[in-house]
Amino acid sequence: MQMYFSMIRNDFLRSKTTTLITMLFVAAAATLLSLAAILVVSLPAAIDTLMTQAKTPHFTQMHAGEVDLDRLAAFATERSEVEDHQVVEFLNIDGARIAFEGRSLAGSVQDNGFSVQNENFDLLLDLNGDVIKVANGEVYVPIAYMQEGLAGMGDRVDVAGKKLTVAGFVRDSQMNSLLSSSKRFLVSPSDYAAIRSYGSIEYLIEFRLDDLSALGAFEAAYADAGLEANGPTLTYPLFRTLNAISDGLMIAVILLVTSLVVVIAFLCIRFTLLAKIEEDYSEIGVMKAIGIRLTDIKRIYLAKYIAVAATGALLGLALSFAFRSMVLENIRLYMGEPEGSTLAVVVGTAGVAIVLLAIVAYVNRVLNRFRTISATEAIRFGKSQDQPPSARRFRLGDNRLLDTNVFLGVKDVLARKKLYVTMLMVLVAAAFIVVVPQNLYNTIASPSFISYMGAADSDMRLDVQQTDDIAAKTAAVSAALEDDPSVSRISMLLTRAFNVRTDDGTDERIKVELGDHSVFPLVYSQGRAPAADDEIALSVMNADELGKSTGDTLTVLVGGEARSLTVTGVYSDVTQGGKTAKAAFDDPSAEVMWGVINVELASGSILEDKIAEYGERFAFAKVSSVDEFAAQTYGGTIRSVGLASGVSIAVALIISVLITLLFMKMLVAKDRHSIATMKALGFRNADIRRQYAARSVLVVATGVVSGTLLANTVGEALAGQVIAQFGGSSFGFVVDPVAAYVLSPLLIAVAVLAATHFGTLGVKMTTIADNIKE
Amino acid sequence: MIITATGIVKAFGAGDERRNVLDGASVEIREGEFVSVMGPSGSGKSTLMFTLSGMDRLDGGQVLFDGRDLSTLSENDLADLRRADMGFVFQQPTLLSNLNILDNVILASMHDNRRDVDSIKQRAMTLLERAGIAELADRDITQASGGQLQRVGICRALMNDPKVLFGDEPTGALNSSAADEIMRLLAEIHRNGTTIMLVTHDIKVAARTQRVLFLLDGKIAGEFEAGEYRGASEELKDREERLMAWLTEIGF
Repeated sequence: MQMYFSMIRNDFLRSKTTTLITMLFVAAAATLLSLAAILVVSLPAAIDTLMTQAKTPHFTQMHAGEVDLDRLAAFATERSEVEDHQVVEFLNIDGARIAFEGRSLAGSVQDNGFSVQNENFDLLLDLNGDVIKVANGEVYVPIAYMQEGLAGMGDRVDVAGKKLTVAGFVRDSQMNSLLSSSKRFLVSPSDYAAIRSYGSIEYLIEFRLDDLSALGAFEAAYADAGLEANGPTLTYPLFRTLNAISDGLMIAVILLVTSLVVVIAFLCIRFTLLAKIEEDYSEIGVMKAIGIRLTDIKRIYLAKYIAVAATGALLGLALSFAFRSMVLENIRLYMGEPEGSTLAVVVGTAGVAIVLLAIVAYVNRVLNRFRTISATEAIRFGKSQDQPPSARRFRLGDNRLLDTNVFLGVKDVLARKKLYVTMLMVLVAAAFIVVVPQNLYNTIASPSFISYMGAADSDMRLDVQQTDDIAAKTAAVSAALEDDPSVSRISMLLTRAFNVRTDDGTDERIKVELGDHSVFPLVYSQGRAPAADDEIALSVMNADELGKSTGDTLTVLVGGEARSLTVTGVYSDVTQGGKTAKAAFDDPSAEVMWGVINVELASGSILEDKIAEYGERFAFAKVSSVDEFAAQTYGGTIRSVGLASGVSIAVALIISVLITLLFMKMLVAKDRHSIATMKALGFRNADIRRQYAARSVLVVATGVVSGTLLANTVGEALAGQVIAQFGGSSFGFVVDPVAAYVLSPLLIAVAVLAATHFGTLGVKMTTIADNIKE
Repeated sequence: MIITATGIVKAFGAGDERRNVLDGASVEIREGEFVSVMGPSGSGKSTLMFTLSGMDRLDGGQVLFDGRDLSTLSENDLADLRRADMGFVFQQPTLLSNLNILDNVILASMHDNRRDVDSIKQRAMTLLERAGIAELADRDITQASGGQLQRVGICRALMNDPKVLFGDEPTGALNSSAADEIMRLLAEIHRNGTTIMLVTHDIKVAARTQRVLFLLDGKIAGEFEAGEYRGASEELKDREERLMAWLTEIGF
């Protein structure tokens, strides 16, 4: 024991940097894994608690249209497994009619609905997990809006003219999740009655069963009975899944990052261990020669890594407890304090123990190299006899171009390609994760991006919403702008709500922007803008949902009668929740949602003045510059992507630096005989280090070029997938060539060269006498 | 004098373990001389060679190489000096495994002057030819025998026409016929005017040199003037016997 301890201590003192880096990665891996374990245990427990407290329905049928309450009651009585049932109203009010402190929810992707508290089950809870009792004049708001910073305690909310005050937030076991497309606001029965006429009613037909295992049979019976079913059917297991998804995604991301960190930790261990074996080559040979058993030799080396890994793991475990409340914040907020925290600790510790065991097993495997060390060779040569070199044709004697040291560096990489593959891979990955987010950021931050994100590329826009007689007011603003000589182009677009008949015969509400769409043309991913009265263009999300593409016909109820419109185009849209449509006809009878006027000015310099002027003249209109509109619409996304881009650059640089540092240290240890030989021949330290720099430059250049190429092909396709989530399509990177092709590669190269500089300081310490003298 | 070493001290180890491997040794080597250093294992033979050539720093005393005090030179100056004026042959060939045989020979010369590649290669080929291994020039070092590689090492050491050629047991890893060939090559190099200093424990090697220094406990315990060896095998036998007698006398 004493011997192991002193060996570990000596070894640690001799290789502080590498040991610390390895320990750091082990600690990071342990932290992340433990956090993931805590989440894995806490999430289902918290979901169970929430769904038990809220008495979540086992079966919910959403329905738009008439409901036959008696028939439903009869069905419920007839089915013995039904414990309770209820039909609940969900008052769907358009986001444009809901405003928090003057900011409307027009851009919200969600269907915002109002409800009253239920009596028996499907209870809406407050943040303490208690059943909410709402007083008149109060409203409880979905947690998601609190988290987005949209609503705060005591805020004034305007719902279709009715003034309410935020009294708290709703934990909704059915609709908590950001992925659930509806959100429930809770108001008192009398306030509900007051706003009931301003929205459309949807019904939630809900059942609780005696036994959840009867759910399948019940679902089938409900469908067979031909009861109300104009809308999605949701079940208890689905609610569980929806509740689990966003934290589930976090778990997935943590596990992904964990595996990356574990791989890096393993690489660190591999590098340091191989370097150590190289260093101790002859000693290992001697130990073998004098008959020490292989397992005993291995044990000496294992001892160090067990010590390093165990310290790292303990550190990681401690850190994971410090970060615990951070990762659990979301669960606590949406679902309440999770039970079973002891189990979480046990599982977390077990996870860390697994990492520890994996490391020991890995070290053990790498140490199997000892088997191939020949005692005679090790004693005789003191180093491993390398494989015969490749790259024979690249000869020093034929070199007239490169500096001799540069040549030797390049030659080494070509001759020992396998050795450099790891470093190359890391650098390819680094370049990839630097360039992709950067290009993505650059693309969505570019001014032209808005025109293929669903909005006009104009200078100024005036929004008329949340007021009465929107059509007349919008027309008045438009008329004033027509008379303004400093305005060069305008387009007035009124968005009205229509019902669309879907292929299965049900009706669905869509918002159609009516007007002349040729004034500020959008970029269409398919087809063209609508021009004739029987034409319509759909946003990507609507086209997907309705199952339509260019050339198809769509039945829209215009002025009370079904009209067949031809889909002329599909475009990307991130505005108004992404579900929009455009047409050129008009129907004054349809309900107006909002009006928009896009304006191009003769001179950009008067923009601020014009915004002020029209803002004052038409107090009911929201006047903004398009840049500002873009910032409001997807500014959050731009900022997130910008942040992600910054973080990935930092991560990529840190990983590149650490791996290069370790790799160079390993190389210097491995090459110490060659280094000593060259020194004996009269090469200076600087000469030899220049050879290492040349190796790095070659590897980093290859890595960065391949990584950048990959980023612009595979990466572009991946980013296109991300953009498609926002409703965008026809995606192509807008590349800032200086940043993407000069600055970023330079940044990685500088980082790697700096790491090479520090990693090869050991060249100075490699003496001729220690490595050549017999 | 090409090398004058006075009272040199070199210690190894730390704390109580520290001991002087060289303990006040003084050596003089004349220009054009062929000298060998003998001594028991651990007597500091290799260390002597490493300190005389500036590859190891001294803990005491002074080494003048061609009139320059090595202790006053920086690492870079020492590297430049080795490249310009010294040649080394070690027990193991110490060739770079990435490079073929010709590239190994021209390596150090290419460091200073790669514009003149053709004349550098020309010189290397001349040396390889003299060493009888010209046909190996394009081969990898894995495709040559130990004796051949040692000759490559000698060619490499001679590329810059060194003032002194140092050899640390250059035949130590070779069989007797390969060793014999190496010694014949070295003798020829010496005849062409190069100063050679060899470290050896092999009496057959030392018997071919002009002067034998005997190192004991870190000091020169005696020296044996053998005179020029002309190359006949009976003469060699006689030299070996005389050297053996001397060594026995001083207690080897």
